[in-house]
Parts: sequence; structure tokens; C-alpha cells
Amino acid sequence: MKAIKLSVPIFFILFSAVFLIASFNLPKASLGNPNAPIYFPAGLSIIMLIFSIIYLFQELKKLDKENKYIKQMLSGRTPKLIGFTILLGVIYAFVFDRIGFLYSTILYLGGLLFYINGIKKWLVNIIVTVAFSFLSWYAFSVLLGVSLP
Amino acid sequence: MRKFGMIAILFLLLFMTACSSGASSSDEYPSKNLEIVAPASPGGGWDLTARSVENVLSGQSLVEENINVVNKPGGGGEVGWKYLESKDSHSLAINSSLVLTNNLLGQSEMTYEGFTPIATLATEWQSLAVPPDSEYESSKELLEAIKEDPASIKIGVGPGLGNDDHLSLVQAASEFGIDPSQLNFLVYEGGGDVVTALLGGHVDAVTTSLSEVKDQYLADKLNILAVSSDKPVEGIEDVPTWTDQGIDLVFPHWRGIMGPPDMTEEEIAYWDEKLSEMVETEEWQEVLENNDWEGFYKNSEETKAFMDEQHNLYKTLIEDSGLIK
Amino acid sequence: MDGSSFMEGLFISLEPMNILWIIIGGFLGTIVGMLPGLGPATAVAVLIPVTFGMEPVSAIILMAAIYYGAMYGGSRSSILINTPGDGSAIAATFDGYPMAKKGQAGEALAISAVASFIGGLIAVVGFIFLAEPLANFALEFGPAEYFLLMLLTLSAIVALSIGKMVKGFLAMMLGLTLSTVGIDTQTGVYRFTMDIPHLSEGIDFLIVIIGVYAIGEVLYNLLTIDQEKKEKKKVGKVWFTKEQWKRSKWPILRSGPIGFLIGVLPGAGGSIASMISYTTEKQISKKPEEFGEGAPEGLAAPESANNAASVGAMIPLLTMGIPGSGTTAVMLGALIMLGLRPGPLLFEQQPETAWALVNSMFIGNIALIIINILLVGLLVKILDTPAKVLYPIIVLLAFIGTYTLSYSTIDFFLLLIFGFFGLFLKVMDFPLAPLVLALIVGGEMEQNFRKALLSSDGSLDIFFSSGVSIVLFALTVASLLYPLIFKFFKRRNQAKKTDRISKSS
Repeated sequence: MKAIKLSVPIFFILFSAVFLIASFNLPKASLGNPNAPIYFPAGLSIIMLIFSIIYLFQELKKLDKENKYIKQMLSGRTPKLIGFTILLGVIYAFVFDRIGFLYSTILYLGGLLFYINGIKKWLVNIIVTVAFSFLSWYAFSVLLGVSLP
Repeated sequence: MRKFGMIAILFLLLFMTACSSGASSSDEYPSKNLEIVAPASPGGGWDLTARSVENVLSGQSLVEENINVVNKPGGGGEVGWKYLESKDSHSLAINSSLVLTNNLLGQSEMTYEGFTPIATLATEWQSLAVPPDSEYESSKELLEAIKEDPASIKIGVGPGLGNDDHLSLVQAASEFGIDPSQLNFLVYEGGGDVVTALLGGHVDAVTTSLSEVKDQYLADKLNILAVSSDKPVEGIEDVPTWTDQGIDLVFPHWRGIMGPPDMTEEEIAYWDEKLSEMVETEEWQEVLENNDWEGFYKNSEETKAFMDEQHNLYKTLIEDSGLIK
Repeated sequence: MDGSSFMEGLFISLEPMNILWIIIGGFLGTIVGMLPGLGPATAVAVLIPVTFGMEPVSAIILMAAIYYGAMYGGSRSSILINTPGDGSAIAATFDGYPMAKKGQAGEALAISAVASFIGGLIAVVGFIFLAEPLANFALEFGPAEYFLLMLLTLSAIVALSIGKMVKGFLAMMLGLTLSTVGIDTQTGVYRFTMDIPHLSEGIDFLIVIIGVYAIGEVLYNLLTIDQEKKEKKKVGKVWFTKEQWKRSKWPILRSGPIGFLIGVLPGAGGSIASMISYTTEKQISKKPEEFGEGAPEGLAAPESANNAASVGAMIPLLTMGIPGSGTTAVMLGALIMLGLRPGPLLFEQQPETAWALVNSMFIGNIALIIINILLVGLLVKILDTPAKVLYPIIVLLAFIGTYTLSYSTIDFFLLLIFGFFGLFLKVMDFPLAPLVLALIVGGEMEQNFRKALLSSDGSLDIFFSSGVSIVLFALTVASLLYPLIFKFFKRRNQAKKTDRISKSS
């Protein structure tokens, strides 16, 4: 719980630090002021760094205070649900171009529904999956002419 | 019940592989649906070119096979052309000078030589415009003023340095003996923004496509000092070309079409035939007219030579511009 | 204004075929507006092949109907599932979603539709009488003025974050930093693209919206998905109460003109218009503490503004041929294909076409309010869908919407990253709007600042050199100081209360 609470300010600190370093390593402009592209991002990351440090202290001060959302996030099957949704999303991104929109969507939506809604409601899951996948494919690919793989 | 799902999915997968291996076993080109890649989002210039070509080819039954326009935007054409590289000869892509400049500017590894030139289709011309009440009434006067003090003349350009709008003026400037890297450019998001900036008096001159400023000129909202065409442009014959004013410069802003690497002679010949027919149709003429384009058709062979020539030109221009050192 | 061509335009727009196109366009716009990621730009773009066979005047009527139809639709998903369909619908989540949570979904949908309608009408009337002078007014905006307008928007965002200033600032800074990714327009330098060609055009703010709002919201709801109660949710009536109308009436009438004016400026658009009108209403309200908790005026104001802005955006398009937003840029391309060239000559050469469009916007807004009121009853049913089915579907819609942005699966990874990040921000009680809005205005802000300095040879005087810029600067300062004054008064009030209750909680 404390780790999660601190992860956000630490993320911001790291992000702004990395961004600051990256800003100074930007290629110089060959026309006009060579440093012109650097000022804005560098300035932003410095301000962001200052604010994230303030924020870190703010969080440190109330570290022991309960945050019910984090509690929920770590309880029961929630972490698994979140992980599963994201993992399937990554898989979806990888297979989308390869096996095409229709099949990958059926896999992703079906997988999500079976996992979240439970296997007991398999009929609803299958109907929703197939109906949604076909309808969306039809609407985009056929009616609107969007080129889906 | 879970098994059911698995079996169903397996079936689907099988079905899919069966489908994808079914096609492509005929010797007559084209043997399946054709594809034109627009390396831009729907609604952009390349997209409209692709859709116009598709529309005329299919609408006039010049090509029997289905033609699909596929949008692959990103990286100034890079994404779409990379996609084309991986396809077979049933895919073509729209291109423009960016296919040369991306590489010359060091933004892309791909070169134009990695593709099969098919045709050059149409061109627009570039223009140099000033506000109507500007003290400069000819391009010479403006260039003189720039020569005197390059920083004093703010020139609007969009959407990025290294494009034809920018480089056409670079060429004009170096022809006139000005160091183009000293030009004071303000870069706007797009051609439209450049014109607004000029109308609002926020820049002293703009270099942009003629179509962006032609109507404004006809409505007396601005003055065009020069066009980059070889002869006066229809509708605005009173605007002088660069050559008329003694500056040796004809600068087309062309669009063309190219195929993936390693297309066979027959395949190239097929497109030479179809596209040369296409550019003769009334429908294509209408497309040209609506877009303020000019016919600029070159077949595959001419296009190949043209590309080599353009490549050398752009190489010099980009070096002159000071964009790369 | 030219009376006879105005009438001629009216008759053209009243042709049955054109009325049909208005209705189709409005309906389609409402639908795409509702879906995350799918916006009017995409809808207009995919319809280009359809318009090939159409009369140019019908095509422009259809495309415009999609555009303002999407403004009606955008807020639907903001209200119902806290997921704006587009940048201009973000402000509708601030109070629309809390209203739905309080069981007033029906009222919220109805009042936002009416607000959009009135905002749209105000703007159409404004269009008829003020098109020409406003187009000239828009030309006054140079780099310095644009920079100040963006600054004003940012200060509006800051004002939103009262109470969690540090978090609001951090989110805003993050949005601004992300806006620097991509090619630097002024110099052509590639910034933070990590050699991914896809990133050279920057991070599309729509991906961030879909990520932090749609995916983030779904993940957030997964926290409590197993504790969901079986009982039917309250959705409220399909019409609003007299009390709600009384509170919204003036905000709607005030925000319409604000939105219209901002819409006329090329490049500003609905997101900025709705944001500025929201903060304005919050700042002049007698009950600012109710904003964000489901105040009807907090929903009505931005809704009126963004629809008015979409009408305003037609002015630079029609009078100068200059697209003021992504959608109008696509429209311009399509119209040129059809041989209709919007620009300074349009009102001279084809006045009836221009006036047909203006009149069609009248009819279109009437059609849209009918469509949207009828849809209220249907839409609130979405809330009856079991969450366990609804959320997976939203995830998939988010993916599809993302794909239509640039047809690349790289965006899917960005989407997931922002989704996961959005969950953390929500859990840690960060405001999301500053992140997205800063990303929307950040790029323009930096580039205009630099352009302004380039054109003034580095002198800062350019930011105070015109009447417009001085007004914008004053507004920004006022908007920044206001929270301080507000805080001061609140403290005094609290001090008084503490006196009475003797112990504060």
C-alpha cells in the first residue's frame, strides 16, 4: 500500500529527471538559435521536478492514512483483473495486424468477458462477443470503409 | 463449457489460415484485389490523391479488380512506404518529394531507389505572396530587401522546414545570390495558417502552394509576386513566373505513385497502360481542375529519370538551406 | 448580408433530400461523437468516398451536420460513463458524470442537449450577422495573441484544481511535456521520438483521452466490479426540473457567445471554448463549491459553448478557405474534391451555397435536439447494462477508436500505458483534465511563443502590443488571482463558522 502511494510521486520525479536529461541531449537546431528546441521542455521538466518533490513530501506526510481505493486495488481478484485486461490488450496489439480485426477482437472481447463476467454466463458472453465483433467490423469496414486488417 | 470456446476459436484460426493461403496462384497480373496506400490520414492531400485515382480507375472501368485505398499515416510518409516495402506488386503508394527529402534530411533510412517508380501524376506550383499594401511589388524588390538585411523580412512557411514550400524559396534565394540559411522563416502548422498570418499582417511574405493563395489573390486580399511554373498559370495570367523575372527556377510540387521493390516488366507495363489512359479521361481532368493541379503525367521510365534528377536537385537545396550541416 | 441569396439558400436547405442529409449527418455525428476516439474528423473523412456522387451543397450540409452532431453526441458518454468522446466533451465530465451518479442521468442528458441547441442557435444567428467582421477579427490574432489565449486556457485549468493545486500542476506539467514529443515545427528537430517514426507527429491527445478516461475508467471500475449491487440504478427523469433550468438558463446564454467567438479563431476550437466557459461560470457563480459535484450549470455552460464553437469554426472556413480545426480541414479537402472551393470568392460566386449551409445549421440544430431528446430514454438504458458486460465492450470500443486515429497498433501500446497510468492517477485523486488539456494546447503554446519572439527579435513587448493581447493578459491574471481571492473569502467564512462551532472537522 505504501509502495503504491509512493510509486506515483517517484514516477513523476524519475520522469521529470529523465526528461530533463533527454532535453539537454536534444540535437541542436541547425537554423536560428541552436538551443531553441531545448528551452521549453527543459524548463518544464525543472518545474515538474520541483513539484514532484513537493508532492513526494505531501504523500510522505500522510503515508499512514488509509486510501480505500488502493485497498480495493490490492484486494480480492482485482489485481488479477487489471493485469489480465492489460495483458490481453498487449496480446491484442501484437496479433491485431497478423490475424486481422475480426478474430483478434473476438479473442480479446471473449477472453475479457469470460474472465470478468464468469464462465457461468457463457451464453451471454458468446452472444455479446460475436454480435459486437461482427457489428463493429461491419460498421467500420463495410459501411464506413475504414481499412481494417 | 470452456472447451467449447476453445474449439470454436481453433476452428476460426484454421479457417483463417485456409483463407489467406487460398489466393495468389495465377499468372495474369493483377490476380487479386489491388491496394493504393495513402501514407496519410483520411482527408489529407495524399489520401485525396489516392481516392481520386481509385475513383477514376474504378469508375471508368479501366481496372476490373477491386481497388482499396489503405491509410497508413505517420512520419511524413515513412510509415506508409515502409508498409509498401513489405507488400507484393498488388500494392502501390502515393508519393511526393518527401520520398526524397525524408532520406536527405536524415529522417529516414529508406531511399527512393528502394521502390519501383510507376508514374508522376500531377503537380501544383509554388508561389511567393505578400500583403496587398506591401512595399514590395516584384519578387526582385523583395529579394533585394532580403539580401540587404535577411532578418528584417519575416517569411511564413508551413507545416515544416524542408518541404517544397520552403525549398522552392531556398532555390530562388540562392539563384539570387542570397545565403538561404539566413532567411528568417516563421513556421506555421499548415498552409492555411500561413495565409491567415499573411492576411493578418503577422508576416511580410509567405511561400506556399499556389492553390492556397489563388482565390485570395483573385479577391484582392493579397498579391502574388511569383509562381514557380514554366508558363503563366491559367486564371491568373498576370502573375509572372520566376523565369519571367530572370530567375532560373521552375519548381513543381509533384505527386506520383510508386510500387514495392522488384516489380516485373509486365507489371510495370500494366500500370503504364492503365495510368496513361486514366490521365486522358475527362474525370481525371476534372480532378485536376477542382484541385488546382496541373497534368504532369510521366510514365514509369520518365519518372525514373525524373526522380534521379530531382534527387540531385533536392540534395543541393537541402545543403544550401542550412538544415543539415 | 444579401437577402435574396439568403432566401434562396433557405429553400435549398429545405429540399427534402437535403433535410434527409441533415438528419442522417446529425444522427451519425451524435453516434460517432459518443464513441471514444471516433470524432467528427474521422466520420467526415470516412464519408468522403460517399460524397463523391453528391451535389457539393448537399455534401457540405452533410459534413457540417456531422460536425455539430458530434458536439451533441460527445457529451453523452461523458455524462453516462465518464468517458469524453473528444477534447471538447471533457468539460462535460466535470458535472455531467456526478449528476448521473446522483441518479440524474436523464436530466443531465436532457439539459446538455438543450444547452447545445441554444448555443448552436446563438452561433447561427451570430454567423448570419457577424461572419465578415469576425473573420477580420480572427486575423488580428498573431502568434502573441495565440500564445496568450493558450495561457488563458492553462490558467483556467489551474483554477479548476483548487484544493489539489500540486496534483493539478503536476498533471498539467506532464501534459505540456508530452506535447513536446515530435518534430519541433520551428526548427525541424526531432524531440523525444525515440526513433519511432510514428511518434514524429507527436502523441495524439485523443489517445491520451481514450487512455486515461475510457481505459482508466474501466480499470478503475474493476476495483469494485465484484461488489456491484443487483438493484436497478436510478436514472432520473428524461426531462430536467424547473430549478435546474433556472440555474442553467443564464450560463447557457452567456457561454454561447463565448464559444462562438473562440470557435471563430483558427486553431482554438471546442476544447478551449468549453474549458473557458466552464471556468468562467464557476468563477462568477454564487455556489462555486457545487461545481464538480453535479451542478447543472456546470454541464450546460460548456455544452452550449462547444456547439457554438463548432458553428463559429465554419466562418474562417467559408469566408477565407482556412480550416480552423481538424474537422474543418478534412471538410475543406473534401469540398475541393467536389469542385467547391470555400474562400473569399464563395460568398460572391456561390452565395446560395454558403447561405444554404448556414440555414441548414438552423434546421440541423432543430433536428438534433429532437433526436437527442428522443435518445435520452434509450441512452440511460446503457446504465442498466451489467457492468461486467459493459466495461469489456468499452475497452474494445476504445481500441477501435484508437485504431481509426492513425491505423497503427503502436497506438495500442500507448493506449494501454495511458490507461494504466490513468488508473493510478484516479486512485491517487489526481484531476485528469489538466493533463489532457495541457497536451492539447501545449504544442501551440510553445510554438506561438517562439514565433512571437522570432518576429519581435526577442523583445517581450510584443505580448502587450495590441488591444487583444492586453485584454487576454488581463483575463489571465484575473483568472489566476481569482482562486486566491476565493480562498481568502472562504477562509474568512470558515473562520466565522469555526467561531460558532468552535471545532472544525
